[in-house]
Amino acid sequence: MQETKNGSSTKELVLELRRITKSYPGVIALDGVNLAIYGNEIVGLVGENGAGKSTLMKILIGNVQPDQGSYQINGQAVRLRDPAHAIRLGVGMVFQEGSLIPNLSIMENLFLCHETEFERFGVLPKKAMREAARTALATVKVVEDLDTPVADTSPAVRQMVEIARLLWLSRLYHQKNPVLILDEPTTVLTEQERETLFSILHEITKQASIILISHRLQEIVENSDRIVVLKDGKNVTDFSSENASIPEIEHLMVGHTFSADRYRENEQIEPGKEAVIKVENLSKKQKFEPISFTVGAGEILSLVGLVGSGKEALCRCITGLEKPDSGSVTVGGKRVTAGFPSEAVRSGVGHVPVDRRNDGLALGMTVADNLNLLVLDQLKTAQLMSPIREKRNALDWIKECRIKTPSPSTLCANLSGGNQQKVVIAKWLTSQVRFLVLDHPTRGVDVGAKEEIYRLIRKLASDGVGMIVMCDTLEEDIGLCSRMLIMKDGRLVREIGCPPFRKPSPSEIIGSIV
Amino acid sequence: MRNEVTLNLRGQVPSWLASPFKTLQQWLRASGISGQLLCLLLVAVVFTAGTQGKFLSWANIQVILNLAAIPAIIAIGLHQVVVLGGIDLSVEGVVALCVVVVGLLAHNQFNSNNVGIWIVPITLALGGAAGLVNGLLNTKLKIPSFITTLGMSWVLWGLAVFVSRGQTIPLVDNPLSGLINGSVLGVPNLALVALALLTAVQLAQDRTRFGRYLYAIGGDEVLSGQAGVKVDRTKIIVFTIAGMFYGLSALFLAVKLNSAQAITGNNLLFPAITAVAVGGVALTGGIGGAKNAALGALIVTALNDGLILVDVNPYAQEAVNGVVLVIAVALTIDRKKLGFIK
Repeated sequence: MQETKNGSSTKELVLELRRITKSYPGVIALDGVNLAIYGNEIVGLVGENGAGKSTLMKILIGNVQPDQGSYQINGQAVRLRDPAHAIRLGVGMVFQEGSLIPNLSIMENLFLCHETEFERFGVLPKKAMREAARTALATVKVVEDLDTPVADTSPAVRQMVEIARLLWLSRLYHQKNPVLILDEPTTVLTEQERETLFSILHEITKQASIILISHRLQEIVENSDRIVVLKDGKNVTDFSSENASIPEIEHLMVGHTFSADRYRENEQIEPGKEAVIKVENLSKKQKFEPISFTVGAGEILSLVGLVGSGKEALCRCITGLEKPDSGSVTVGGKRVTAGFPSEAVRSGVGHVPVDRRNDGLALGMTVADNLNLLVLDQLKTAQLMSPIREKRNALDWIKECRIKTPSPSTLCANLSGGNQQKVVIAKWLTSQVRFLVLDHPTRGVDVGAKEEIYRLIRKLASDGVGMIVMCDTLEEDIGLCSRMLIMKDGRLVREIGCPPFRKPSPSEIIGSIV
Repeated sequence: MRNEVTLNLRGQVPSWLASPFKTLQQWLRASGISGQLLCLLLVAVVFTAGTQGKFLSWANIQVILNLAAIPAIIAIGLHQVVVLGGIDLSVEGVVALCVVVVGLLAHNQFNSNNVGIWIVPITLALGGAAGLVNGLLNTKLKIPSFITTLGMSWVLWGLAVFVSRGQTIPLVDNPLSGLINGSVLGVPNLALVALALLTAVQLAQDRTRFGRYLYAIGGDEVLSGQAGVKVDRTKIIVFTIAGMFYGLSALFLAVKLNSAQAITGNNLLFPAITAVAVGGVALTGGIGGAKNAALGALIVTALNDGLILVDVNPYAQEAVNGVVLVIAVALTIDRKKLGFIK
């Protein structure tokens, strides 16, 4: 039993996780996490990327089974088989990417797979279903035409339909106090829609509890009764949001400061005066507003922002994967034709993509083939590929970049993630790349390989290559970069210098990001 | 949070006309066949003008209805596979085998078999069995429907030629022949059968759980599975029904021609696919129903009939059909969805 913000009533415990542990090969995602949800409350769940929020949610809805720990719903221990089972017990989730079928109408989506409730002699009665749909949608104040295909509705409506579906299902299964999990519900909403969402959510707490995940701490503090902070797979604290302050939560989320020189700051060089890349007034409608910056030779520029801040689209425009609406990119004094990756590569722009298995490497090809891909012209003898020179070149770079591979003719698919990433970076090292976009270069890479990748990045810098990095953690961004640009809602909001050994701390920066 | 997709007709249409016009337009929009009706109208106008009204004579309309019935039945079977997001190329093989089996089991000049009216369930079962195998190969062995059904077509075609020894089997006094060649008030019976099947399938699509699941899978297979739709089962049923429709078409073809031979199955696939596409069934899945498929068959048949009436070179006619198919797909494909495909 506990007192809530409203203070008036004591509330019942509906859902409880105790000492939940879950580990994946090489990582402990959750380490003894506790979570209790009481009736009719909104709980804000916050934590950095990788803090274990998503794993915790997957366990709550039965998508993932915990290694250890107990899970109780309404005082009874449960072992969930799948999300459908969780819904029957009153626990449902609205995913960020949505789970409605785009070509079906609002009504069809509401009752999908539960039509038997209405079926009469094998036929679905339109009238009864319409009435039930209207009642269900009234709770979330959707006044949309029931026959509109979901693809033609706004994200806000889709979200409400999903919430209505979960509430309807919990009533169908006679759950008195369902728990709704909302994953980043406001990222796709406008300011006004956001307000509507929260007023509806407060309304819904009369019949349900809500777990709210958001990066926007402001709305967490304003709208939740309690805040739970996760860090590195552990509970940090759990407190009433009445006396919570945003800087305090930020500090709890980011936590410790780091000491050792993991990011080889002593190798960080003073960027050259001359710009390797000049971005002028580049913009893309609805993704990011006109932005201009330059990157000097050997400079590492970190681009920081939440998902949807426009940083991904910006990088896609620079590497030619997307065509910007306006502006130009100039490399080495020459303007790059926009919208063609091949043009970008030709002018010396390289790209280490986040999904290296699909976008960065030809996995079915050998290490040597991947390494030589960009320099095939230099490995010719009398206009024909020379196998000897190919092998020599590959061996040189395998040694240089310390790629752990049995031989140059091993398939890239058989290397570890870290070594695959080294191949991708080495590939750009072989060519005369002037500028490189590194999209989460250390994602899914173990600690040892991370160090190697940091070393390669420093080597690229000392060779005069300019870089944009987008890292997994803020610490990594700060550690690697010599300058940081922070983007928010498609705009450049802040620029911070990060000279070696005089770096800002993450908590100084996080306020500008969220 | 209101949807912005509403047409504002003010200023374009006088107010006294706006209201009924708007209702009609809304109905057409919701029905998903407005473009097809327009297309049919266009064909009718052009060829009526080109033939001094002969195209719209009752005799010619009867010809069109009679010719359109079998392609329509095939298209009604086939389009459900397309709605699922797959494709069924097995039509010609299934029809070839079914036709030959009709020839050998019904009263014929080749052997002493005569199963009488039982030929109806037999051909339905045979076609259904072929479709069932297609569905099982597609879902259980995870072979793309494109390959499964293409392979199936050639296997069954080979089997049909083998069983019939490549010969034509003349039929004798088939009990169905009166029904199939007859008409009610001048409307060919075959067209009525097609209309009945169209109504049944359309109702199933609109008003049953099966229909809901069909479109859910076509919209997003993974999400449907997560929501609890029995994806594999629905797919297998759809392939089986498609096969039964092909079997039925084979029976009608054999009785109509009063003889059975494997090549009866030839040249059925292309018109059927064209009909499905022209009717507005998106090849990306999830959009379009039986009425679209049937209307598509009608448009394609009317177009070809018109081309013959205005005496266009037969080779040019085939080229026209090819162009029509490509344009139809270009217009109906759901590009939003293609964006997700790598």
